[in-house]
Amino acid sequence: MTDVAVSRGKNCTLGQFSAMASPCEILLETADMTLCRELTLLAAAEAERIEQKYSRYRTDSVLSQLNQGAGQWQQLDDETAQLLTFANTCYQLSDGLFDISSGILRRAWQFDGSDRLASQAQLAALLPHIGWHQVQLKPKQILLPAGMELDLGGIAKEYAVDKVLQLLRAQFTPSSLPSIVVNFGGDMHCSRPRHDGSLWHIGIENPGLVDHAISAVGLTTGALATSGDSRRFLLKDGVRYSHILNPKTGWPVTDAPRSVTVAAPNCLLAGMLATTALLQGASAEAFLQAQGLKYWLVA
Amino acid sequence: MQLKQLANISAALAAASCAVLGQDAQAGTVLDDWQFNSAILLYNETDRVSAGEAILSARGDFGDDKYLNLGLVVDALTGASATGAVAQPGVQSFTRPSGKGSYDVAPGDTPLDDTFHDTRVQLDASWEQPLAPNWRVSGGGHLSKEYDYLSLGVNGSVARDFNQKNTTVSMGLAYSHDTISPEGGVASGFAPMLLRSNFADDDSYQAAFDATRDRADDTKDTVDMLLGLTQVINRDWLMQFNYSLSMADGYMTDPFKLVSVVNSNGEVQQNLYESRPDKRTKHSVYWQNKLHLGGTYLDASYRYMWDDWELKSHTADVKWRFPVSEQWYVEPQLRYYQQSAAEFYLPFLQQSDSLPQYASADYRIGKMSTYTLGAKFGTKLAAGNELSFRIALYQQNPEQDGADAPGVLANVDLYEKVTAVMAQVSYSF
Repeated sequence: MTDVAVSRGKNCTLGQFSAMASPCEILLETADMTLCRELTLLAAAEAERIEQKYSRYRTDSVLSQLNQGAGQWQQLDDETAQLLTFANTCYQLSDGLFDISSGILRRAWQFDGSDRLASQAQLAALLPHIGWHQVQLKPKQILLPAGMELDLGGIAKEYAVDKVLQLLRAQFTPSSLPSIVVNFGGDMHCSRPRHDGSLWHIGIENPGLVDHAISAVGLTTGALATSGDSRRFLLKDGVRYSHILNPKTGWPVTDAPRSVTVAAPNCLLAGMLATTALLQGASAEAFLQAQGLKYWLVA
Repeated sequence: MQLKQLANISAALAAASCAVLGQDAQAGTVLDDWQFNSAILLYNETDRVSAGEAILSARGDFGDDKYLNLGLVVDALTGASATGAVAQPGVQSFTRPSGKGSYDVAPGDTPLDDTFHDTRVQLDASWEQPLAPNWRVSGGGHLSKEYDYLSLGVNGSVARDFNQKNTTVSMGLAYSHDTISPEGGVASGFAPMLLRSNFADDDSYQAAFDATRDRADDTKDTVDMLLGLTQVINRDWLMQFNYSLSMADGYMTDPFKLVSVVNSNGEVQQNLYESRPDKRTKHSVYWQNKLHLGGTYLDASYRYMWDDWELKSHTADVKWRFPVSEQWYVEPQLRYYQQSAAEFYLPFLQQSDSLPQYASADYRIGKMSTYTLGAKFGTKLAAGNELSFRIALYQQNPEQDGADAPGVLANVDLYEKVTAVMAQVSYSF
């Protein structure tokens, strides 16, 4: 069982735990600490379930099993099939830029703030094993070509935020639902406006000042997700290489904003759009404008 | 390439993300939850029928997408309804359908039976749940009881989602068994309406009346089948197509309706109880669009119905919901309906003609157009409850269809228009 901490905030109660390599928060508009603790425990259990299922660091995760079974048709459970179907839609709609098979590029790139760029030879060896179009997906089955690997790092946390909120919501009747915010490291989703009409003020990390949340965003309902390179980048000859990699070339996207935050009805959608915006490089803002959703951008 | 990348993909992605999140959370417990809808409806036709109806429905969420739906409807009708007999220049006397008592109709007035009253109670229940991924099933039953009518039915449906739940194909089957037991028994086809004044005493009248009734009750069995296709066109547009087939077998005559037999001068010689076929097969196709249009919500539908009584109808219905403030919305409605007459519809029978196999003068199966003009005003209350008020004008315009009115009938209104007003208050909690 994950450790959870519950405390009283200003006009709210706060539950905290750690999951998916992020600080996780449950904000509840009522002063009921017991309720907050119960909800936080439920949230932590669900986050842990999703982390265990889709972590690439655990060899027993569903994701690792799929990667180990590359080269043959494999059965998919419902949840995984739906996530992969979503990833497929993302790939199609982003014209191949959002690709969950591009994770193996990590072998060539370490974004540790140093100046060690990947060599073209390293990338040339990896690129044939990247490309979602090579994957065959049927409603309940997948054939992942040998040598390829899937990584749900770009989806799993946002998905977890939405699923946790869905679970917490289900504990209430529609009329008794309080305002709840699920915030996993800046990716967040709010159940409904606060009864007193006030906004939740939640900070978005500013890449220029790591750990100083200076851009507070007022949230009433819906989701926010942020993509950026505040901590992970390479710097060589004055060029900043973000950790956002173009799956077609294997190279980091350049001239992209440092950070993009998107507001959308759910976190999965917000996160996907924020990431896809960064993948557009210099066209990120034009892409965001075309989406017709609220966004914040740090250049 | 660049152009495509900068296209708006958020709508398509939103649909895809909802498909992923559509399934229930997989951990933890879900509390049972009941949602209730209640409504009171008042319906009033000028000089004719008045009805009051109370509706209470409940939907219980049992988790895992399992729901129990329960419904209770109680309605009471009172007032006068058209008998089918034609108006005349002089006073006419009628015997009530039960054979007990009579009433007179003033010159020029459309004959109405003013003792029309009934109370109906309807109960229905259904259970719905997923069967397998992308499959849903439901099953239920209903019971409806009036003073002289009992309807019992069962129904079931199955639906399959395709295309990331953007397409749903459904099939439904329903069966109902109805029993009618009119007071005084069921009149045989074209039995004459007897008048007590033409008999010497009560016993001879009663003996003659009983001879026109051949059974105490009769039944009707109906099988309905529905095929439906629901398609999400985009985030703001949902389209639905339905085809339905209804096959009824049994007593479909209205035991309270008459057909007048007139002479060449249009004078009523006799009133006969109507007679309808005992089989009816109806088909209908239905097309519905639900659209979000810049903060407003449009629901537009069209139905075409045809049957082997040669009755064809068109229904067009448009509702458009606009927000008028933070809390309130207004929803105007316009519905237009047009039908052709059933093949055996006749406003009256001519004495000189031989009796047809079937005949009914019920204006509701004659050539007619109707329209409904209404508006609903609704508000979201605190705690998510919803209150709405609806008011509507319902106009029925029966039309002449071929038959010329001989003699005195030329001077009376054979196709009297009926105007009704409806008012409804609904509360969801």
